[in-house]
Amino acid sequence: MQKVYVTAAAMTKVGRHFNLGFKELAYEVVERVIEESGGEAPDYLIVSSTLAALQCHQLDVSTIVAQALGLSGRRRIPSIRVETGESSGAAAVEIAVAMVRSGMAKKVLVVGFEKMTEYPSAKVNADYSKILDYELEVMRNVTPPNYAAMIMKDYMRRYGVSREDLTSWPVRMHENASRNPLAQLPFKISKDAVLKAQVISEPITLLDSFPLGDGAAALMIAGGDFIPPGSEGVEVLTTCSSTSTPLYLRDELASLPATASLRKVADAVLPSGWRKDAAVQVHDSYSIYGVLALEALGFAEPGQGYRVVEELEYLNPGGGLKARGHPIGATPIYGMCELYALMMEGFAGLSFSGSYGLVHSMSGPDYNSRLIILKR
Amino acid sequence: MPRPEERVGILGWGAYIPRFRVKAEEIARLWGFEPSVTKALWIEEKAVAAPDEDAVTMGWYAAKSAIKRAGIDPSLIGCAFVGTESKPYAVKPSATIIADALNISKVKLSTDMEFACRAGSEGLRLATSLVASGTIKYGLAIGSDTAQANPGDILELTAASGAAAYVVGPSEEAVASFEGMVTYITDTPDFWRRDCSKYPMHGEGFTGEPAYFHHIMTAVKLLMEELGLKPSDFDYAVFHQPNGKFPLKVGKRLGFTKDKILPGIVTPWIGNTYNASALLGLAKVLDSAKPGSRILVAPFGSGAGSDAYSIVVKDRIEEKRGLAPKVEDMLRRKKYIDYATYAKSRHMILRNV
Amino acid sequence: MKLSISIHWRRKETHYRLALTKCRACGRVSFGERKVCPYCGSKDVTTLIPSGTGTLLSYSVSYFRREGDEEFLPRITCLVKLDEGAIVPGELVDVDPDEVYIGMKVEAVLRRYSSDDPYGLIYYGLKFIPFLKG
Repeated sequence: MQKVYVTAAAMTKVGRHFNLGFKELAYEVVERVIEESGGEAPDYLIVSSTLAALQCHQLDVSTIVAQALGLSGRRRIPSIRVETGESSGAAAVEIAVAMVRSGMAKKVLVVGFEKMTEYPSAKVNADYSKILDYELEVMRNVTPPNYAAMIMKDYMRRYGVSREDLTSWPVRMHENASRNPLAQLPFKISKDAVLKAQVISEPITLLDSFPLGDGAAALMIAGGDFIPPGSEGVEVLTTCSSTSTPLYLRDELASLPATASLRKVADAVLPSGWRKDAAVQVHDSYSIYGVLALEALGFAEPGQGYRVVEELEYLNPGGGLKARGHPIGATPIYGMCELYALMMEGFAGLSFSGSYGLVHSMSGPDYNSRLIILKR
Repeated sequence: MPRPEERVGILGWGAYIPRFRVKAEEIARLWGFEPSVTKALWIEEKAVAAPDEDAVTMGWYAAKSAIKRAGIDPSLIGCAFVGTESKPYAVKPSATIIADALNISKVKLSTDMEFACRAGSEGLRLATSLVASGTIKYGLAIGSDTAQANPGDILELTAASGAAAYVVGPSEEAVASFEGMVTYITDTPDFWRRDCSKYPMHGEGFTGEPAYFHHIMTAVKLLMEELGLKPSDFDYAVFHQPNGKFPLKVGKRLGFTKDKILPGIVTPWIGNTYNASALLGLAKVLDSAKPGSRILVAPFGSGAGSDAYSIVVKDRIEEKRGLAPKVEDMLRRKKYIDYATYAKSRHMILRNV
Repeated sequence: MKLSISIHWRRKETHYRLALTKCRACGRVSFGERKVCPYCGSKDVTTLIPSGTGTLLSYSVSYFRREGDEEFLPRITCLVKLDEGAIVPGELVDVDPDEVYIGMKVEAVLRRYSSDDPYGLIYYGLKFIPFLKG
């Protein structure tokens, strides 16, 4: 079995790139990753996009990206597209790691992109909602923020937490983003601003939720035997993933069951006390999910997650989905890029003294959950 | 020889009135009507269906209540007729949607009927005939409308939304039995809507004497003559209610006292629900009439025609009343909305879709 | 035509009648017509049509705007625990947000879910309203 490393990473600024299509966005990050890899092309391309078919009218995006980037011609690099809702990028990494570990490939280029601004927001919102079950939820006019709102209400009621308590999440995320030049919303906000922002689905406001922005991010995932000594980068210790039942089949709303099931993998792979020695990137499409992810992964007891948001030094260093942005298919790859940068040379004004990195991603109210564990 | 309809009766009745009301004075104010017009017509407010409601959804609710009161297995219902002049589809039956959603037999007669405001009543007559002939055991007839009126037309003060439904079946199982029913129709063009036109047109004064009054009075007199009854033999008289005044006026002319007409009046508080109008009035009377009471019901439809029914309430009715919401409950359930909300709810605001 | 006819049509039992799956092995009831019980994995399941009444478990007043939502916002999205035990996600209508409370008794009513305007089909299904007493 090969040891697996992230050997290069690149990301674009998240925002409204009206002048750039998905090909241009992908080109920008892929070129930088290949350049960082000494100009050598990968032997496999994995593309992650959630909404390409609905927003860009494009099927088989991995082939189209390969063609657009000159990877398909004389090099004939094989490619595959991965889609698992909001966690697509983590699924792409999961497959890349498996391919390299098994020896099926030496170097796999993973690129994630999303164009979120090709249509007015009402269409983007409608398409994004389809991460839920179209027949049983979407057709019945139930959308992702509605579920997040009901989960948040249940959390507040169950643990006696106030709406104001939960502003700790977006305030921290914006503070982090203010040091990240690639963030879509690189500015600080106040608790009051969160409370007074437009309501999306009460109690969730605009500032509990992610902005719509385009972006792309890429990684080179390579096997230990094929890397020149000294250029190993960050090791991928393991990847794991899980699925859970629809929210309406759960006995409890205020928890993330799929994410919680991944905690034991982290505890098994990492030495005890690893949490004090780790940087973490969790999925926070809505504030409550960030808090619940910290609880599910053992950074806080149930009902206490909102209290540790300010204490954790290396928490979503780029500003999370909330403030860095959530170009859906690229999002987990942004999380990987940010932790890679942090572990290699420091990122967003932070230098990292620890050893481990965790990238968590999920889709909707934890319908599937994925974890990638890094070590330097 | 006994009349065939004597073998048939009402097993269950159901009503539906949407929650929203717009005041007639609000409509009058917007379109510059002299304020006393609402008193002249005796219209106080009208029921407005929500944007996600239509003749199908309202008819469904009324039918569900009627089946609940009837206490029968819906899969034994052999016909489903929907009388409406606000079909959600110009072509595609509303009746099949309602029937499937209520699990009514798939081996049944089912159609939407159109005869202005009396199509629902025609459905009731047909269902009764099918039961009387032995073709089916139980039948369902629905009158349901999200009545349209051209904005600014006097008709807009009254055109409203509502539904009523009846399950008919063998007289032995009935809570109210038919003694007789007659229909009188002529070609009298008092009110119409052309193909693909959004709102109906009407002959204003022409809707009165030659249409409403002539047809109802002819039908009611014919019924009383055939059954050998006179107005004083009836405890209640329910008429089609284009406004609050017409039913009182036609009843008076026929010799019915006001106290027999008032219990079946609904229009001043919900408006003219077209196909549901007289049938909702009947439902309101069935909600409270004592066993043994005799009810005259005379729906009217423009174009034009009128039915007249004589119905006698039976003992079993008492146990059925509490099984579904009463008309009074639906009248009390209300929220006032402004003209803009009413216009939005009835899809009257021009939008790009 | 923007919406599929067959996708909607084949789920009539779900949308018109809230069809549930009842597991003969573990006894639990789940929303949707399923081949396998989501709780215990048994394939010994049967379809159960609920009465349509239940209590409000959770709700949120939503301004989240999708294409086609314009006439209906804000919506009240909810989870309802049916009397048969299953929880169903859906919409609560005919009530003002400040009148809604957890534990409120509700009943299912047929409404329009969506319509493929201006020429396509109208899609009907059950939503919830505060329970109307008989």
